[in-house]
Amino acid sequence: MSGTLFLAVEEAGGLFDINATLPLMAVQFLVLAAVLNALFYKPLGQAIDERDGYVRSNLTGAKEQLVQAEKLAKQYEQDLAASRKQAQQIIAEAQAEAEQVASQELAAAQQEVQAQKEQVQSEIETQKESAFQTLEGQVEALTRQMLDKLLSFA
Amino acid sequence: MSSLMLLAKLEVGQHFYWEIAGLKVHGQVFMTSWFVIGLLVLFSVLATRKVERIPSGLQNFMEYALEYIRDLAKGQIGEKEYRPWVPFVGTLFLFIFVSNWSGALVPWKLIHIPGSELAAPTNDINTTVALALLTSLAYFYAGFSRRGLGYFARYIEPTPILLPINIMEDFTKPLSLSFRLFGNILADELVVAVLVLLVPLFVPLPVMVLGLFTSAIQALIFATLAAVYIGEAMEGHGEEEHG
Repeated sequence: MSGTLFLAVEEAGGLFDINATLPLMAVQFLVLAAVLNALFYKPLGQAIDERDGYVRSNLTGAKEQLVQAEKLAKQYEQDLAASRKQAQQIIAEAQAEAEQVASQELAAAQQEVQAQKEQVQSEIETQKESAFQTLEGQVEALTRQMLDKLLSFA
Repeated sequence: MSSLMLLAKLEVGQHFYWEIAGLKVHGQVFMTSWFVIGLLVLFSVLATRKVERIPSGLQNFMEYALEYIRDLAKGQIGEKEYRPWVPFVGTLFLFIFVSNWSGALVPWKLIHIPGSELAAPTNDINTTVALALLTSLAYFYAGFSRRGLGYFARYIEPTPILLPINIMEDFTKPLSLSFRLFGNILADELVVAVLVLLVPLFVPLPVMVLGLFTSAIQALIFATLAAVYIGEAMEGHGEEEHG
């Protein structure tokens, strides 16, 4: 049993038997490298690179879209704030206008009332005057009658 | 008992010779390496038959493997230069990894061939030396194609005193690469075989699991070091030591 183990080393050939196997193996290896390059490294390497490019371009596209979306959101917020301000301004303007109109109308009404009052007063005055005049006339007539009566008795 | 003996027999350094144009080659190494190559090609074809943007199943798995290899190459060679070296480093890793694991997981010993036995292709010194020399060629090519003749400047960096050591490194690198892989895989298979010889049941299991672990680590080390050497040659400074 142990004989086979040790005997084998000393037989023809031996462990370090270098012969034509070496160059043939080298050629075979180079052919294998070329074949694997065509069958394996190139197509799969291309697939990997293409995938890398695809992922990278998608990523940059997504980032750009994100930036754009953020810009849009900002712009909308700005627009919103501006229109809110505008609305408030419009409301304030309308209130001011209404107040002005109201005060104007109030003033006009007061004036009218004043004018009417004055007219009525003047009317009253004239009527009073005419009443006094008629009264004076009647007083005169009555006095005359009374005088007549008194004179007639005497 | 005799059939058990046959299963547990140890054969080291025996080869199943094929003769091709008068040259002797180790047939058992090629047989298993073809199995490994076939497995890799089969997986690649199945994974890339219908490539989808959202991967699933085998494509997902192989993409995971590819990303692992890419990270490995990227980490050692650098972001800018690693792409052309992915096939080389990746094939080193995959071939060694699948080879090692096939040696550990596939019961090759049940298939009898004359004069030898099947084992992981990385179990043979020819394979590991071939891979190591290719790595040397690769980093020389990387250095020259990147820096031209200025590549030689790295031999006198940081000081010319280190010139002999720097030259020696070019020899020690493939030597250490090949022997590390060869020694680890052979030793692992031998330990398992010896344990199986002594106690055929259960006892070898922990060692087998450890073997799976070291096999994977060795593939990673080989590929990482190859990438380190290539990156170093292109950068052109520093002498990183390797373990």
